[in-house]
Amino acid sequence: MVIDSYTTPGTERETALSAGELLKAMDRAGVERAVIAPQDREIAVRHAEGNDRILKLASASGGRFIPACSVSPWRGEEGLRLLREASRCGAKMLVLAPMLQGFIPTDEIADPLLKLAGELRMPVYVHTGPHSAGGPTQGVLMAEAHPGTNFILGHCGSTDHAWDMPVILQRNRLPNVWYEASLVRPWAVPGYLKAAGSSRIIFGTAMPRNDMEFELAQLRRLLPEEEHPDVYGGNLARLLGEGA
Amino acid sequence: MIDCHTHWGRAWTERDGLDPRRWLEPLTAHGVQRAMVMPEEGLLDAGRIGRDNDRVAAVCARSDGRMIPCCTVNLWMREEAARETRRCLGDLGMRGIKFHPWLQGGSVSSPLMDEVCELAAEYGVPVLFHDGTPPFCLPSQMALLARRHPGVQIVLGHSGLFEHWREAIAALKGTPNLWGCLCGPHVAAMREIVRQCDLSRLLWGTDHGYGLADVYQYRFPLMDTLRLSDAARQAIFDDNPARLLRGPASASKIR
Repeated sequence: MVIDSYTTPGTERETALSAGELLKAMDRAGVERAVIAPQDREIAVRHAEGNDRILKLASASGGRFIPACSVSPWRGEEGLRLLREASRCGAKMLVLAPMLQGFIPTDEIADPLLKLAGELRMPVYVHTGPHSAGGPTQGVLMAEAHPGTNFILGHCGSTDHAWDMPVILQRNRLPNVWYEASLVRPWAVPGYLKAAGSSRIIFGTAMPRNDMEFELAQLRRLLPEEEHPDVYGGNLARLLGEGA
Repeated sequence: MIDCHTHWGRAWTERDGLDPRRWLEPLTAHGVQRAMVMPEEGLLDAGRIGRDNDRVAAVCARSDGRMIPCCTVNLWMREEAARETRRCLGDLGMRGIKFHPWLQGGSVSSPLMDEVCELAAEYGVPVLFHDGTPPFCLPSQMALLARRHPGVQIVLGHSGLFEHWREAIAALKGTPNLWGCLCGPHVAAMREIVRQCDLSRLLWGTDHGYGLADVYQYRFPLMDTLRLSDAARQAIFDDNPARLLRGPASASKIR
C-alpha cells in the first residue's frame, strides 16, 4: 500500500486543491491513502478552523485520508486543549511549521505541546528547510529533548541541508525520528536510505506544491516500490499505529 | 535549447579529466544544444579557484561551442579577485561569473561585489547567483545589487528555491535587469513565477554536473507539468538564454 505522508487539500494560493481532485490524483498515481494537513493560514493562525476542516474531509473520504492537525506552540494552554480536541476527533499527526509559526524548534515554548503529542501517541511532523527556524539539526535537538515523542523531519531540510543530512543519518540517528522525502531531490533519496536504513525513510509528495504522479514516478525509478515497501507506506503506517 | 545552470564538478574531472564527451551525453540525449557551465570546486575551495577556472575553460574549449564557460572568484581575495575576474573574462574568454555566497562566505552587498559587477558590465557578461537561502543568498539581496548596477544582467540561479520564491517574484517584478532561472522551486511556485513575472527574463536550468546523475530525467518532465504555452517554452528554453548571452536584456514582454 502506498501512503503519501503529506498533502494539503486547501482553498488558498498554491494549496488550492479540492478533496475530489486529490482523490483523483491519488488514483492516477496509485496512492491508496494520504495524510492531509491544514493549509498555511490554518497552520499559522486559524488552528481550530483548519483542524475541523481537515477532520471533516477525512471522515468523508472512506478512510483514504489520514487527518493531521496543527497548533502553534504560542497558543500555550489553549493550544494544548486544541490538540487534545483534535486527537479526540481522530487527528493522527501534529504538524509544526517553525518558520510559519515563528519559533525555533529547540525553543522551550514548544515543550508542553511536544510532551502532550507524545502522551497522545501522535507523531509530530516538523517542516524543515533552508531557513533559520526549522533546520534539520534543530529538529534533531528537538527530538533528543523529547524521547517520548515520535518525530518526522519533513523534507529532510530539502536542498541546502544536504550536507547536514548524511551526518544526521549516520551519527545522530535517534530511535524517535523518521525522515520524510518530499522536496528532496529524488537522486538524493537512495543515499539517505542507505545511511538511515529502510525503516526510517518515509515517502511524501507535498501535493499540490508538487505533482503527485510525477514525484512518485521519479522516486519509483530510483527506489522500486516492490523492494522498498516500508518507504512507500509501511513505515508511516506503523508510526501511526495502523500496522503495515 | 540552452541550459542556464550547470557545473563542471569534481566528480567529472576525477573520472574524465578534461574530456567533456560524457558530460555532454545527457544534453544530446535530451535535445539540449548548449549550457552555461560553472565551476564547482572553485566554489568550495578558494585556494583552487584559479585552477578550477582554468579547468572549466579548458573543458568548454573542447566542446565545439556547446559549453559556455563561466568563472568564479572569491571576494575575500580582494585585489586578487578583480585580477582573476579580468583574467577569466579577458584572457580565457569566459562568458559569465558565478557566485554561491553562502558556500563562499561572502556577502552580495560587499563593495567588492560592486567592483566585480563593474567588470561584468565592461565585458558584457551576466553575473549568476545561487539564491534561496539566508543569510547570504536572498533574492532581495540580489535585487538591490542589480539596481545598483542597472547595466549588468543578474541571474537568480534558483528563483528563490522552496522558501523564498515569493521574494524572488517581488525581486524580479521590480528589477528589470534581474533574471530568474527555473531550477529549484516546486511546481506550484514555478507556475506562479511564470504567471506573475516578465516572461522575457525567465530561464531554465538543471544543476547538471554537480554530481554524475542524469538530472534531465527529472528536470524535463518537471517542466512538462507546468504545461507552458509554446511561446513560453520558446522564450524560457531558447530565446531568453540566447539574449542573456548576447548582452543587455530587451524590455519586450511575451504573454
